[in-house]
Formats: sequence, C-alpha cells, structure tokens
Amino acid sequence: MRRVYVLGAGITKYGKSPFSARELALEASRKAILSAQLSPSEIQAGFVANAFSLSEKQGHLGPIVMSGLGIPDAPASTIESACASGASAVREAWINIGAGIYDCMLVVGVEKVSQLDTITATTYFSFGSDYIFEGACGASFPGLYGALARAHMTKYGTTELQLANVAVKNHENALLNPNAHLHKKISVEDVLHSPVVASPLKLFDSCPFSDGAAAAVLCSEDYLRLKGRTLSEKILIRGSGRAGGTGALHQRKDLTTLGAAVLAGREAFNRAGLSYKDIDFAEVHDCFTIAELVAEEDLGFFPRGDAAKMTEQGVTKIGGDLPINPSGGLKAKGHPVGATGVGQVVEIFEQLNGIAGERQVKDSRIGLTHNVGATGGSCGVHIFELT
Amino acid sequence: MLGGCFLKLAESAKVEERGALTEGQVTIKSFQEGIREGVIRGYLCSKCGAKYVDILAFCPVCHSSDLKETDLRGEGKVLTYTIQFVAPEQFMNEVPYAWVIVELDEGPKITGWIPFVRSPSDLPIGQRVRLRKSYLPGVVFEKI
Repeated sequence: MRRVYVLGAGITKYGKSPFSARELALEASRKAILSAQLSPSEIQAGFVANAFSLSEKQGHLGPIVMSGLGIPDAPASTIESACASGASAVREAWINIGAGIYDCMLVVGVEKVSQLDTITATTYFSFGSDYIFEGACGASFPGLYGALARAHMTKYGTTELQLANVAVKNHENALLNPNAHLHKKISVEDVLHSPVVASPLKLFDSCPFSDGAAAAVLCSEDYLRLKGRTLSEKILIRGSGRAGGTGALHQRKDLTTLGAAVLAGREAFNRAGLSYKDIDFAEVHDCFTIAELVAEEDLGFFPRGDAAKMTEQGVTKIGGDLPINPSGGLKAKGHPVGATGVGQVVEIFEQLNGIAGERQVKDSRIGLTHNVGATGGSCGVHIFELT
Repeated sequence: MLGGCFLKLAESAKVEERGALTEGQVTIKSFQEGIREGVIRGYLCSKCGAKYVDILAFCPVCHSSDLKETDLRGEGKVLTYTIQFVAPEQFMNEVPYAWVIVELDEGPKITGWIPFVRSPSDLPIGQRVRLRKSYLPGVVFEKI
C-alpha cells in the first residue's frame, strides 16, 4: 500500500439548511479543493457518502456533484453504509489511492433531511435497522440505542446521570465550534428533565437530525512529491480499519458492545502500528450519549464499564487526558448522516493543523475517527498523524 | 471468498443450480403470516442444529446451506428493551410501548413490542413473555 495523505478539508455549517444535498456537497467540496490549493482538474475520481438523497428525489449524486465542480468526466459514485457512509467512502478512497489506481481523489459526505417532518425522518432512519425484524416491530433508532443503553446499565450499573454528563460535555465543546448545529449550553438537570424519546434516552441524550456536508481531498505520497509539496506537516492516514456486524442489534451475543467497532479499531491500530495509548484525541460516533461510552470501551481507551466514570472525572474534556469529540460530536455538532464520517476527518485536519480555534486540543499529533453504521452493522476507524 | 467460487465454476463449467429459494424455507411473507397465526417461523440448520429467526442463505454458525423451516413456540424472556415515546409512522398511535429483545426458550433471539408499557417498573429484565396472536403491526408480545 502507498501512503495516503489528507491534503485539504472543507465543511458546511451543520443544522437546518435551505440548500439541497447537491448544493451542500458542492460548498464543502469547493472548500476542500481550495484548502488543498488545487484546481478541481487535479481530482481524478470521487466518492459521495450519502444515505437519504432519494428523499429529495435525487439519486446518482456522484456525477451531479462532479459536474458542479466542473469535472464531469471524473467518475464518482455513492457509498451508502447508513451513518458510517462517510468512513466507508474515506476507506475506499484510501484503498484506491493506496493501490495506485488514482493519485488524487475527492471524498464528500452529504445529507439533507430537514425537509422531512420528525415522524417521517424517524421512519427513514428506522430503515437503517434490520427493518423487517426491528423497525417493523416498533423500533425507532433511539429505541435501538435505548435497548443498548438499558443492557449497559443492567450489566455495568451505568446511570442516566452518567449518560447526561456526555451530553453536557459535548454541548460545551460545540459552543466553541462555529459549524456546530447546536449552540446551547445545557446542564445535567436539563438532560434529565428533557422529554423521553426511547427510555432511558431522552431528547438531550440524542443527536439532532442535521443537514450538512463535509469533504476531504486525499492524495498519494507520490503525488505530493510530483507536485513539489513538502511531506512534513502533512496529515497522513496512518491506519484504517473497517468491519461488519449483524444488521440486527438483537442478533449479537453481547448487547453492550458493537463488535464491528472492536474489529475495525483492532485493524486500524494494527495497520498504524500503534496502540490506544498513542491516541491524543478522538472523534467518536456519539449518535446517543450511550454510544460515546460504548465507543470508548470498544476502542480499548477504557476498561468495560469504566467510560462513564472517566467522563465524570473530566478525562474526556478538551484539556483532559484524552479529549473525546472536541468538535461537539454527533450529539451537538450534529449528525448529517452521510457527512458525519467525513466531518470527523475535517475535525482531525483542523485539530492536527492547529487551526481549531477555541476548541484546539493542545500538542496533538495523532487523532482517531470512529464512525458507526446503524447499531454497528458497519464501522470504520481511521488513525491520522501529523508528519 | 470469490476465488473459491470461480475455481468451482472452472471445474464444473456451469452455474450452480442449487440454492434457489424453495418451499419449506422461511420467507418474509411466511414469517409475517406465521406471526398472524401465532407461530414464529424460524430456521433449523440440518447440519449443526442451530436455530435462528432471520432470513438466511447459509447457517451463521457452520455455514451449511441446508436450512429447514422450524416453528418456535414463541415463549421466552426479555433481555433488554426500551420504552418508545416517539415512534415510527406505523406505531405513532401506540405510544408509549416497550420494544423488546426476547430470547426464545429454543435459543434464537427476536424482537417485538408490548403495548401499554409506560415505566421500567412495568417490565423487569428477564420478564417471561409470549407471542400474542394479533392483527396489530409487527411481532406483539405479552407478559406471562
């Protein structure tokens, strides 16, 4: 495999947007290409991460986006892996460039769902479950994670108060992120007294439905040399991992962990030649508060059942020993499904380049992204290093 | 995985004819009809004996393709659950209700819902439940 770098990154504001998916994708892509200091003509191919574009009556987003960038001849196709579409697209671009098929690629993730009312959006999201056996039997997305939360509480004694701590922390971080969907300081009491969505999860335990897009330009080491670019102070994809799990949550042996995240993490660490101790900060898939705790345990950052305590002690705050979701995470930065995994890479790009402003994690050289599809039917983990 | 497949084709030079969906195999339709009749239709692996409620082409345990339909009694215990206060379209008039993951006495796991559950005190983990014959959507369980 050739070494693959992130040369540029761009992101739109997350939240309710008046723009369509194609417009959002174009904004993030233009920013990423400008950030890489390239002409779009350098982009040889692309992947679009997206799950719900048919809700806007538009399929085949690849050529639509490439045409809008003025490069209709460059091939692009959609990658759908539910909420892990972004990491899957990054992974496929990493493989394509690593294998020598292309030297310079665009990865753009995008979602536009605010045209749907809450019930319709809830229904669309339930299509990401094993629908016949879960969604059609009454499970919503928060419901699936609610069942996981109850299993975790039963096995490890995790409390609703401890879940609330995650939301409070991520809202605090999002206040420092101008692109975040939710700019609202909340207290533990606010979370505990917010309406129940799917017990034990409440409104403030849940990520919002967001619109938004994020993009990254990936290139090979050969390309950097050819263009006379320096190899130092660049963002290297040091490790990549991807794994699957049963599409249905209930088919798992253990309902308190996502096996796909454990396997994807292991592959990424192995490929990087690093351990969890080497990670300076991470962006993890906190679609619900419980998911952040499970992610920290699945990646081996903390022993099983300890993540809630570590959060309580401030270990995962910006300025703590292991900052988790300095961007605000899915919980408060927002969760535009297809964009989420690529948006995590954008955060890593900003943090490692020292341009994350008030939410800057000091002295960081190695960051990790963890992006989960549905309840862990798919997961992608990437490790990035500032060279 | 595909490599083995191509090798096999090269040897026999034909497209495999076994493996088509056949009578006696669980389909989404037969599963859903079963639920209306009060029966859970699952798979029994003829080779290793594993039982599953799912739509399968190979056994997830031993990877045999010899899967037979088997009827399950529909009784088991609640492993975990949530109480839905916001629900997908089909269930929006049923809230609140419990969405449950149930381990059936024969081993396989399945999900379903229990109407009129409002609070965790109504449904301890481990609660015994059984399938309720019903024309409501999905798989409906009731407490025993």
